[in-house]
Parts: sequence; structure tokens; C-alpha cells
Amino acid sequence: MQIFRTFTILSTGLTYLLIFIGGMVRVAGAGMGCPDWPRCFGRWIPPTRLDQLPEHIDPAKFNIVLAWIEYSNRLFGAIVGLSIAITLYLGLKHCSHLPRIKWALIIAFLLTLFEGWLGSVLVDTVLNPLTITLHLFFALIIVMLLLFASQEAYYLLNPNAENKSQYPSEMKWLFGMMAFTLLVEVVLGTEIRGGLEMIRKENPMIESQFLIDMLGPFKYAHSILGFLITILSVLIWHGLVKRSLDPSSLMVQTSTLTVLLILLQIVLGEILVFFEVIPLIQLFHLWIASWILGLVSIQYVAWQRSRLDYE
Amino acid sequence: MNRAGYHVLLIIIVLGLGANWVIEKANNSHDIPILKPVPQFSFFNQRGEPFTNENLEFKVTILDFMFTSCAGPCPMMTLNMSNLYKDFDDVKEVQFVSITVDPVVDTQEKLREYAELIGVDDGRWQFLWSDMDAIKDLKKNGFMLFADDLPQGHAIKFVLIDHKGNIRKYFDGTDEASQKVLRKDIANLVKESRS
Repeated sequence: MQIFRTFTILSTGLTYLLIFIGGMVRVAGAGMGCPDWPRCFGRWIPPTRLDQLPEHIDPAKFNIVLAWIEYSNRLFGAIVGLSIAITLYLGLKHCSHLPRIKWALIIAFLLTLFEGWLGSVLVDTVLNPLTITLHLFFALIIVMLLLFASQEAYYLLNPNAENKSQYPSEMKWLFGMMAFTLLVEVVLGTEIRGGLEMIRKENPMIESQFLIDMLGPFKYAHSILGFLITILSVLIWHGLVKRSLDPSSLMVQTSTLTVLLILLQIVLGEILVFFEVIPLIQLFHLWIASWILGLVSIQYVAWQRSRLDYE
Repeated sequence: MNRAGYHVLLIIIVLGLGANWVIEKANNSHDIPILKPVPQFSFFNQRGEPFTNENLEFKVTILDFMFTSCAGPCPMMTLNMSNLYKDFDDVKEVQFVSITVDPVVDTQEKLREYAELIGVDDGRWQFLWSDMDAIKDLKKNGFMLFADDLPQGHAIKFVLIDHKGNIRKYFDGTDEASQKVLRKDIANLVKESRS
């Protein structure tokens, strides 16, 4: 059982790392670093010299740095897939009587296979923007399912974790609104990123500090929604920490961290708008968004659990 | 902050530094080697004006070999070239050159009509004409592209030439992914010419 719990946490951590690496591929412009899939220039180990390229591939596409960046994403993806497969196996072994855990892991595993296939579609379609967004979207779903499994496994080993805590009962609509706005915010964010790509394509010589100026009104929508999310996160924090009886330390920490990370997101986002589109900040802006989603899902599951105990 | 918090923070800093290094590496990986200079040549454009290798200087040139009645890969090449022509319209250093490999059919008048047909309305894209021997020689010995069976056996390559008249790189003129790399490389060569 303990090993199952370890693997749920390991898989979750590795998937978060994979989201980071995927974002890195994106901002480094290395998505087409390997023009074929699953191999790279027809090889399981990417080529290091021009003469290793197969005949049918245009040598102008060969960039050893980009090839290895893209390939590291694939290799790491394979490791994550393996880790999730082991987690599923252990989950079926230890928790087959618990449908919540079982199905969360089964869906996570199937979606992982689907993600691999989407990766091949991305290469085939030369990075179709909608497919890139889907690739990220399903990664976020997978990581939240794994997080859910980790949390449930934790409760199996610590059944009294939320027993003493009493949280306000009327928080469902708050969580609902938070989930909805977060989702819209992520989609708007990917729209902005896609818009930047279009502008770069049509204005190939543009300097990065003018890029955002050329974006339409949805950059304001993204900012306004960001402030709405801040308010929601403070309300959730207030409910779970201030208006509750004996909140668990997990709840206090995740609620506080959520508010802090959302504030950090606003700072990072405004740096991108007012100064320059800096790739490293783009990367962290996206990655921290995935953490916030995870933290909110932890809060929701813990809140649900305390209510179950209570009722 | 507890110990776990510090560990997480340390991991994030390491990841950030690592990602920064990777992104730098990626940005610096777009160096384009100099292959060879374009040799001397003296052709005519679709308006009958002379066009020589000296017209390549101070410009970043994308050059291909084509013929107007070609039905194979040429429409795709023309489409890709005209997309570049549109997107680089505000970059005065970039020019496009298409050389016919069928000079008997593709008279200057025919080339002029063709340019109009595909929407070329300024001097940034020129269509060159010469006699068959000169075209063959330039293609084979100047650009190292095969030229045995013209016009059908023409190459589908786009040749990228820098502001000093050096051949820098060859691209598949029909392939979408290669076009993306080409765009990046053109922008880098323009920056190089400005510095």
C-alpha cells in the first residue's frame, strides 16, 4: 500500500516535470526538432551529424540542438508513461475495491496513451495550434487525476485526516466558479500564445517588446479574468481558513499558496505585457497555472471529504 | 518555510536555470554556414531589365528554378514563395528570384503575365530569363543543383542567399516544416545584414 502511495506521488511529480519540459520545447521553438515520430530523423538516438540523415528528409530541417530538446520531451514522456502504468498496476492490485481511485488511474493511463498519439499528430500537422492546446489540456487533466489518486491514497493511510475539520458547507458554487474561470483563463492564455505565433509569422522581423501591443482585446480579458480569479481564491481561502473550525494544515497551506501563486501569476503576466515576451517567463507562467489547478483540486477534494465525514 | 518547501524552491531554481540554458542554446543554434558564393551571371528579368549577381548584394534572396507551365510540384513551390512574398512585404532587404528553366516557352512576356497572375506588384519578386545553356550552367555549376533533364527535371529547392551573395542553405520548396525553418533563417540573415 505504501508503495502504491509512493508511486502516485512520483507519477504526479514526473507529470508536472513533463508539463514543464513540454512548455520548454514550445518556447524554445523546438517542436519540429524531429520531423518524424516516434523516431527522430529515422533513428532511436537522434543524429549528431548531417550524414546520418535518411535520404527522404530535407537536411535544412536538421538542427541538432532542437532535435535533442524535442527528443528529451519524448523520452521523458515515455518514462512518465511507464511510471503511470506501474501506478495503475499497483492501484488495481491494492485498490480495485475503490472505484474512485481505480477509474481515476485507468482514465489517466488511457489519456497518457492518447497524449503520445497527439504528439505524433502534432508532428504530422507541423504544430497545429488547436492540437497544441489539446496536448496541454489533456496533460492538465492527467496531472489532476493523478493528484486525486495521490490524495485518496493519502486518506486511505490517514483516514482521520479531515475528521476534526469543519468547513463552510456552501462553497460548492465558489469551487465551481473557480474551476470554470481557471479553465477559460487557460484557454485565453493559449489563444494569446497562438496569436503571438500568428503575429510573428506575418511580421517576421518584429521585436519581442512590440509583440503584445499587436494582440487584440483578449489580452485584456485575460488580465480581467486574472483579477477575478484572485478574488475567488481569496474568498476560498477565507472560507477554508478563516470561517472553518480547526482546518487541516494541508488546507491552510494549499489555500494560502494558491493566493500567493495567483498574485505571482499576475506579476509574471504583467511583465510579459509591459516589458517583453521573455520565453523563460512564458514557461513559468504556464507551469504555475498548472500548479494552481492542482492546488484548487486538492482543496476541493479535501473539502468534499470533510463533508462526507461530517454527514 | 519548512524543509520540504526549501527543497521545492531549490528544484524550481535548478529547473529555471536549466530551462534558461536550454532556451539560450536553442536561440544560438540557428547559425547558418556559408556554403559558397553565387558565381557571376547576367540574366534579364520579366521587364527586360538586366539582372546580374550584383543585384544580390545588400539583399537577402530566396531563389528557385521553375517554369510557368509546370504542373508537378511547382504550384506548391509558387504558393510557398508567394506566402513568403506577402509576409515579408515590410522587410525591404528581402527579395525573391525565380529563374525559368524553360526559356523557349517562358518568354519575358509570359513571365510578366505569370507574375501578374500570382499577384506580384512590385520589384521584390523578379522572374529571370536567359538562354538554356546559361541557365543550365548556373544551375549545375553555380548552385550545384541537377540540370540534366530541363525543364521537367528541375529541382524543388529554395536557395537562401545572404546580403553578400553567398549561398547559405537549401530548403525543400514544397515542404511545410522546411518553410518554417526558412522563415526563421531569413529573419536571422536580415538581422545579420543590418548589423
